[in-house]
This record gives sequence, structure tokens and C-alpha cells, in this order.
Amino acid sequence: MTTPTTTIPMYDFKYAVTTSKSRVVGLLKMMSGYQWFYVGAILSLVLAAMGRAGGFLLIGWFVDDLLKPLPQFADMSALGGLGAPSFTFIRPDLASLIPLVALGYLFLALTEGLFNFLRGRWAAYTAENVVWRIKNYVYDHIQRLTFSYHDRMQTGELLQRATSDVDAVRRFYSEELVELGRIAILFLVNLVAIMTLNFQLAILSIFILPLLALISIYFFRRISKKYEEFQDKEAALSTTLQENLSGVRVVKAFARQEYEENKFEKTNVARYTSGKQLLRLHAMYWPLTDIIVGAQLITGLTIAAILASDGVLTVGDYVSYAGMIGALINPMRQLGRLVVAISQGLVSYDRLSEIIREDREELGENVASPVTEIRGEVVFENMTFEYNKDEPVLHNINFTCKPGETIALLGSTGSGKTTLVTLLGRFYEYTSGRILLDGIELKQFPKSFLRKNIGVVQQEAFLFSRTIRENITLGVDRQVSDEEVIAVAKAAAIHDSIMSFPEGYKTLVGERGVTLSGGQKQRVALARILLKNPSLLILDDATSAVDTETEAHIRNALREMNDQRTTFIIAHRITTVMHADKILVLDKGRIVQVGTHEELINQPGIYQRTYEMQARIEDELEKELANV
Amino acid sequence: MSNDAQFEEQEFTTKINRGTVIRILSQVKPYWRWVLGFMVSISIVSIIEASFNLLSMQIIDKGIIGGDREALIGLFIQYGLRMAVLAVLVYIFIILCGQLGERVQYDMRKKMFQHMQTLSFSYFDRTPVGWLMSRVTSDSSRISDLVTWGMLDVTWAIVNITTAMLFMLSINWQLTLVVMAVLPVLIRIAMWFQVRILVQFRDSRKMNSKITGALNENITGVRVVKAVRREEKNLEEFNELTGGMYRSAFKAAWLSALFLPAVQMISAVAVISVIWIGGLQVPNAMSIGAIQAFVAYIVFMMWPVQDMARVYAQMQQAIASAERVFALLDTPADIVDRPHAKDPGTLRGEIKFENVEFYYEADKPVLKDFNLTVRAGETIALVGPTGHGKSTIVNLMCRFYEPRGGRILINGQDYLDMPLHAIHSRIGMVLQTPHLFSGTIRENIRYGRLNATDEEIETSAKLAGAHDFIITLEKGYDEQVGEGGVLLSVGQKQLLSLARAILADPELFIMDEATSSVDTLTEALIQQGMDTIMEGRTSFVIAHRLSTIRKADRILVIENGRISEMGSHAELIRQKGHYYDLYTNQFKQELEAKYTKAIETGEYEAVVVAEEEKQATGD
Repeated sequence: MTTPTTTIPMYDFKYAVTTSKSRVVGLLKMMSGYQWFYVGAILSLVLAAMGRAGGFLLIGWFVDDLLKPLPQFADMSALGGLGAPSFTFIRPDLASLIPLVALGYLFLALTEGLFNFLRGRWAAYTAENVVWRIKNYVYDHIQRLTFSYHDRMQTGELLQRATSDVDAVRRFYSEELVELGRIAILFLVNLVAIMTLNFQLAILSIFILPLLALISIYFFRRISKKYEEFQDKEAALSTTLQENLSGVRVVKAFARQEYEENKFEKTNVARYTSGKQLLRLHAMYWPLTDIIVGAQLITGLTIAAILASDGVLTVGDYVSYAGMIGALINPMRQLGRLVVAISQGLVSYDRLSEIIREDREELGENVASPVTEIRGEVVFENMTFEYNKDEPVLHNINFTCKPGETIALLGSTGSGKTTLVTLLGRFYEYTSGRILLDGIELKQFPKSFLRKNIGVVQQEAFLFSRTIRENITLGVDRQVSDEEVIAVAKAAAIHDSIMSFPEGYKTLVGERGVTLSGGQKQRVALARILLKNPSLLILDDATSAVDTETEAHIRNALREMNDQRTTFIIAHRITTVMHADKILVLDKGRIVQVGTHEELINQPGIYQRTYEMQARIEDELEKELANV
Repeated sequence: MSNDAQFEEQEFTTKINRGTVIRILSQVKPYWRWVLGFMVSISIVSIIEASFNLLSMQIIDKGIIGGDREALIGLFIQYGLRMAVLAVLVYIFIILCGQLGERVQYDMRKKMFQHMQTLSFSYFDRTPVGWLMSRVTSDSSRISDLVTWGMLDVTWAIVNITTAMLFMLSINWQLTLVVMAVLPVLIRIAMWFQVRILVQFRDSRKMNSKITGALNENITGVRVVKAVRREEKNLEEFNELTGGMYRSAFKAAWLSALFLPAVQMISAVAVISVIWIGGLQVPNAMSIGAIQAFVAYIVFMMWPVQDMARVYAQMQQAIASAERVFALLDTPADIVDRPHAKDPGTLRGEIKFENVEFYYEADKPVLKDFNLTVRAGETIALVGPTGHGKSTIVNLMCRFYEPRGGRILINGQDYLDMPLHAIHSRIGMVLQTPHLFSGTIRENIRYGRLNATDEEIETSAKLAGAHDFIITLEKGYDEQVGEGGVLLSVGQKQLLSLARAILADPELFIMDEATSSVDTLTEALIQQGMDTIMEGRTSFVIAHRLSTIRKADRILVIENGRISEMGSHAELIRQKGHYYDLYTNQFKQELEAKYTKAIETGEYEAVVVAEEEKQATGD
């Protein structure tokens, strides 16, 4: 047996799982391995903001330099007498200063640009890598959770967590957290820069902002609620549309086009109306904040201008201020959107970590198996199994099966047949008693070994949307020749059907390909397991949709392929089970009859009745045809 | 599937088709007032925004440096007033533009929906539902975004750049020339970026839907995966998908991250040119305020340029969307009323298929030279293997398809000379997989006749044998079906669709029996419902159950698009042909299923007795 060489980036998945209930710890841990990039992104934020504020300060300083009259000319300026602005005069050294200022500005702009880029790139690098890892992890995790977990979890629920919740976590890292940091840092850096100009001015520049923050958060709570409503309406529209399209035959058969149009009209109008309501909220929010921002801006600028004209601030200070106040206030309008998004992101994280914290099934891949090959002797000793405590599904099961024997299980739905065979692959663990495989307690075999050596063909044949060939070969991890595939397909009596498809073994199965009948699906699933050539084969009602004749053909082919194989067969038909070496009849979790076909037909009971039935059917058919 | 390629979505058009653009614009034509309204408001907004820089210039030059306190206050009051006006205008354009967007989407959805109702079965046969869904949902919103927010952004950008240029010209024309030289470079680069970013986004979206598909399959097939120990291989394959998504998503992200700095950098070059040249000029021509205003204009110009580039990329996408939407709207309805079609008043009477031929593709005939005469009130059972033409016959009968050759006559009149409504409104149909609409049970039955009273609905439900199970439901007739309501079995759904058909009181009844087995009781009820509706009506049944087949007046075995055997049950059994094999096989299977079930439930003896009694009475 070869283990597949994996090309998956070697993550240390332990980072994905944390026992800590704290979100902060969990979210930080999820980032492990990339945290320095994220720190880099945050530092870049600071540097970019500083570059920006620096640019404003530089321009202000430049302006002041331009305006500063040289001392020796100061009197002359006064001599102008008219209170004329002093910028009529230039410092003689200014010409050499200009290139410096220009280069300085370029440098600061470059700094800002570079760090903005790095911020974006590193945040995205972290987020995308973390999410790549999480996606793989969740995918793998789901296929390694126990049967019991999947019994109680719904597909849609799991799917949603593995897709949209993961995406919400991605946005949390790549957009929301960074954006929140950007707002905070722009705010702080610019505020500090303004403070260096004038402390009071700085305070007066932000005093209305708490109001802005509050309004912003308030509105976005409402907007997100309305948005959910809007999405419901949109979903209703999609449902109506989808029903109409898939039910087009009914619509036409009853000539209900007009009725359908009215129905669609209603959902269309509902969506339109809801869209308009959502719009109105936005239409109120933006001008409202425009006014608040405007009021704050004008207050700040007016005061700064008065200070400047009073000489408390220089003109250059004013110019710098005018740039910085905008950089400080404007991003605040995004606050509400972010707060809502972040709280949704955290909820998604919780839902995701719920799955992640589930215990995986220990497959024991690295545990040595007590034997290297299974002979196929199976012994059940007083075995009892219960899903829930004190509600046994199987009671005191006792029987022995020699290597190469065929054991058939017969009984009504819910009698425990499927559970019994499922125990052999250790998909569930038995509660008391023993199951011995080749004389060794089953629990000593690693699950991985058992599942590789036991072939189960399940009742509901599940095919993947791949080609038929891929469906057959996906159970083995080695190169398989066409001859081998054809051989198992022939044994499973499906080769001819496959060849009747235009693309033969390359035919796609499922939505985008051919639809197979129930019996065809079962036979493909059987071929898949036959390719594994397991030493223990379990057919769980695996040929129920196959006709009796074909079934007989399959039975012979199986014997020809390998007569050393131990086989368990679950079935409802006498013809399926009658050739078994031993037939177990189950009722309500107990074995009620054991024996061969010959023995059982002479005992009153379920088996005998079933047998009688076959004869009766032939009899009735004869009568029926005679009646005609 | 072979026709898959046809539905591969092309998301970008490389060339912009003028016809399509004009047609997109025509969508908003009825609302030109709204368009005018938001265009005017956004233009004024843009001009006011640009004027702020001039105002700042005056504040610095006159108010601060000039020391004119009164002028300073006056300027700030103006500033405030302009802001107030701006807020009002913002409100107006959001409302107008947003409303227009909703309206345009509404209109397009309606148009598409109405058009789809006229299209024939053959269109739906070859067009996946999902494809049609995306036309109505996502494509319509892309188009509407282009003609509303896209148009708004472009208007804003153009007005903004133009006014900024004019203001700059009024300050200093030499410097303005410098800026004008930079502008085209800026726009080119911005477009280059936006298109690439969008392509990457599209790729990652495609990857994402593949990932969802893979996850879905792995969850539903988890038992097989675990049983064959394929976990590692699966993860490896899944990693290919997530890795692909990583690459495109990361590329899109860093391209976006690079975009703004790149544009900023170019503006920075423009800014330092201004500082350099302007700085030297200060004493002569430019004031401090003027330089500041100039710098502000340049820095600000980044945004309109970015907007225009984004809209350009979106436009390519929207045009691709529009082409698909228009293709749908332009698909002609191929089954329509002929001119001078005459309503015969009834469908009762003799139905005749005369040399009828049908195919989807000319070289693959489905039905060849098909002849059949059905007397009024006769029940015809169609049996035979899947895909040999049974469904085609009933679809032709209902005129969901029209014959490619030959004629179908109802009471001697070619049914092509009747209006569609005259045929469809007189047909009752029960499908193999019964289709119910979300809503209550009552609403679903009422679908058969919209003005039926509650009593009439109940009567039909009783006749169909559905009443008994309906009243056991918690809310009875008002129970929701489907999502959020009870899950009905296939058998129950069939009973409901029978009730629906009975309520419609059709003149012609068509039924495609379910192949999946239903429990004995339900089966008896269905049988009873079918008997009720077929009484005195011409009926076509694609039959799978023996009881149905036996009762038919005539059985048609359809093989390879032809009638291979025809006659009553007794006649065909005596012939010992295909029908005989089919029947005996089916007979055994049905009994076996029935008895096996009975043994499991412990009612075997009772069932046997009942069966024997039935035989004895010769039923």
C-alpha cells in the first residue's frame, strides 16, 4: 500500500484549534505563522498615516518659509505702509530650498504610497493565507468527524459554515480589522499633529465627532436590519422565479401564465419597495453626516483661520491644518458600517469555531495493525451496542463466521442489520461484549486499517459528479489500468450499460452528466468496492434495485474473483440470501433465527414466510395470466 | 453535456457594441426626468466641491494673510451655506439614482419574466434553470448599476475634472498645462488596473462556486469517503481549488492595494511640479492660497479618475450582461397562436395523429410517422422504455411541442388552427414528479381553477382521495408545503396534483405516473382519484403501474418512436410479445414489494388473505 504524497502546504493545523473560549485568543491563534505580516500591515498603517500628516506639515512649513520676510527687509515691509501682505519679498536662499521641499514632498508621498501598498498587501497576504488554511482545515475536519456527528448535523448548516462564515472571517482580517485600525490611526496621528500646532484647536476639532460616531453606528444597525429584510425579499423573488421555471410544465398545462405574472409581480414589487426603503435610510444617512462633518470642519477651520489671522498660528500652520482635519474626520463616517460588519464577523467566527472544536475521529494512521492481512474470521460475543445510553440497538449478538464464508442478514427496517455491519469498520464503537476479527479484539485494529481492508457497499449508492471511471477508481490510491476497471465493471454487471453511453467510462455522472438509474448507481458503487478487492466485503442492500437475474450473475462473478473473501449480505429478497453459508434473521436488535436456507425454510418464522411468498407470487402470476 | 459550452458565461466583452449601449440606455428612457434630476444634482455637487478649494484660497489670501476679519467670517458663512446645499443635493441624487436603479431592475425583471412565460418547452429543455435565474437576478442588477450609479460617477468625474481645470486655468494656465499632461497617463493606468482587478475577482468568484460544490459533495457523500478512506486524496484535490482561489484572490487584493498608491504617486509628481514652478513664481503671479488650491485640485483629481476607471471596467461587464439579457428577450416564442386561430369551444371528440413526426435535431428523429386515432372518452396507456417517445407524444398532444411533420386533428380541426389557450385551458395534467408551489395546500389545489370556492376545493380533494391526509395535518388545508412547511411524500404530492387537475375539470386528462413506489394505501387512493378523473374523459397515461395499465381501453407499447404493439390488455398478453414480458416482470416486482413490506410489518397473513379474496372476485 502506498501513501499518497501530499502537495498541501504543511500547515501546523494545531493553530486552528484552540480550547480557549476567548475570541481574541482564537482569532490571534488562527493567524499563527502570519502574525508578523499582520503586524507589518499595522505598522505600515501608522507609517502611511505619518507620511500623509508629514506631507501636510511640510507644505505648511514651506508656506511659512515663503512668507517669512528676511529680518533686514522687515522694515522695508513696514515702510510699505499699506499693511500690504509681506509675501512681496522672498528670501534669497529660497531658490535652493524649493528642490529640497519638492523632493521632501515626493519622499513623503512615496512613503505614504509604499506603506499603503504594503498595508494592503500584507493584510491580504495574511487573510488569504489564513483563510486558505482554514478552508482546507474545515474541509478535512468535516470528513474526519464521526458518523454520529454527521447523523445529527444538516448538510446546509455545515455548508454555510464552511463557506459564508469562512468568508466573513476572511473579511474580518483583510478588510474590517485593518479599516478600523486605519480610522483609529489616521485619527490619532492627525490629532497629535494638530496638537503640535495648537492644543485647544485640536480639542475643538473633534468635539462633534462622538455625535458622528453615534449616528453612524445607530444608522448602520438600522441599515443592516433593513438590508436583511431586503435580502429576504430578494430571496422570495428568486424562489418564485425558480418555482416558475422548474414548474413550467404545470404553468403551461393549466394556462396560468397570467396568474404567474401576477405572483411574480407581487414579489417584484415587494423587493422594489424594500429596496426603496433601504435607499431612504442611505439617503438620510449620507447628507446627515455631511452636515455634521461640515459643521465640525467649519468650526475647526474658522477657529484656525482666526488664530492664524491673529498670529497665534502661522499661515503655514493653517494650510497644514486644513489638510489634516479632513484626513481626521472623513474616515469616521465608515465607523458604523465597520462596527456592524465586525460584530457579524465575530458571530461567524463563533459558528466556525464550534465545528473546529468538535473532536475528530482518531483513524490511527500511524498505529501498527496487529496483522497485515485479514483472513476474515469474524466472531461476535455477547455484543451489545447503543447509540444513546440504555437504549440498545443491538442486544447480545453472538455468531461466528469462518474465513471465506458468506453471512446473510435478513430482517425488517430498523432491526439493526445496517448497524451491525457498520460496527465492523468501527464507524461506531460497540458498547459491551466483544467482536473478534481473526481472533483479535476489533478495537485493537486501527480504523484506518479496517476501512482500507473492509469494503462496504452502502444502501444509498452515492456517486460523485465525476466520470464513471473516476467514480470507480476513487477508492484506491494507486494507478489503475483500464483492464482492471473493465474487469470490476463486468463483475458488477455494469460494463454494458457504461459502454452504451456515448462517452463510455468518461461519461460524467450527475447534474452535468447522465442520470443513472438506481440499479446502475448501485452497480457502479459495487464496482468501486470490488476494485479495492477487500478481504471482507459488506453488501448493505446493495443490489436492491438490480433485477434477480443480474444479481445472480454478480454473485457468480464475485465468487470467481475471490472465493476466499468473507462476505456479509443484507437483503430483503430470498434469492439474494439463499446461497449464504449462514443466514441471520434479525428482529428488534436481536438474532431470532440462525441457519442455512434449507434449515430455515423448515422453521416457522420470518424466513419461511418470505420464502413462501416467492412461490405464491409465481402462483398468482399464473392465475393472473389464466384470467386474461 | 454537449450544450454546456453555450452556457459558459463570458463576463467581459472586448469590444463595446454601440447597439447594445444604446439599448441599455433605452431602459432608462421612460425615466429621463429622474436621470436629468440626478445628473443635474451631481453636477452641482461636483461644482460646489470644486469651489471649496477656491474658497479656501480666498480664506488664506484675503482672510488670513490679508487680515480681513469681516471677509473671513463672510467666507466661512458661504462655506457653511454651500455645505448645506450640498447635503440637500446629496439627498436628492441618492434618492433619484437609487430609485431609478430599483425601477430599472424591476422593469427588466418583469419584461424577462413575461417573455419567459411565452417561450416553449423546447427552450426550457435546452436552457438550464440556473442560467435563466442569473439573467433575471444578477445581470439585471449589473445593467441597472451601470445606468444609475455608473452614470452618476462618470458625470461627477467629468464635471469635477472640467471645473477643476477651469478653476486651475483661472489661477495659472502654465501649471494647468502640466496637470493636463499628467491626466491621460493617470486615466490609462487606472483603467489598466481596474480591468485586471475585475478579472481576478471574477476568477476567484468562479473558484469559489467550485469550492462550494466540492464541499457540498463531500458532506453529502461523507459516508462513502470515510468508508473508502479517501480523506487525504480528497484534501489534496480540494487544496487545488482553494489554492487557485488563494492565488486569484490575493492577486486581486494586492493589485487593489497597489492601485491607489500608484495613482497617488502620479499626482504627487504633479504636485511637486506645481510647488517647484509655482514656488518660484509666487512673488510674481501666484499667491500662497493659489498654490494650496492648486495642490488640492491635483490631489482631489485622483478620485474622479479612479471612478471613471472603475466604471469603465464595470461597463465591460455590464455590456456582457446586457448581451445575454437581450439575447433572452430576443428569443422568439416559437409556439404561438396562428392568425385566424379559431376556438372550437371544446376538445371533446375524436383525436387523430396523422403521420406525425418530431425531432429536436433533424438527424435524430424522436417520433416517426406516428398514427393514432383516439375516440372520445377513451383511456390510452403508454408503456415502454424510457427515452423512446412516450413523453413526446403527450407533449405533442398538449401542444407543448408542435409536430415537425404531419398533423394532429381534434374533431377534424388541425389543432394548429386553434388558439393555445383553447387547448391548454381544457387540459388537466399530473406529472411524474409532481410540482407544487410554495404556499398552502389550498392554494396549490386552487391552481386548477382560480375562482374555486373552499368547498369546491375540498370536494376535489375528497374525489382525489387527498382529503383524509390533509385533515390529519396540523393546519389542514392551510398547511404550507415545501420549505418551512410539511414535507410531503411523492404519493401525497401526486394526490394533491390529482385534486388540482380534478378541480380544473379538464376535457382532456394527461398523467405521467410516478415510478417510485408509494405505500399501498396511498396507491389505492391515487388509483381511486385517477378513476374519478378519467371517467368519461379522453385520457393519456404514461403508465407504470399494472392496475392502471389493465384498466386502459387501449395500451400502446412505444419503442423507438413507433407503436410496436397496440391493443387491450388481454389481446397483448395473448400476443406474448414485449408487453407480455413487461407485464409479468412488473407483476412479480409489485407483488414482491408488497409482500416484503407486509412481512416486515407483520401483516403478511392479512395481505395474503386480502389478495386471495381479490383474486376470487376476479378483480
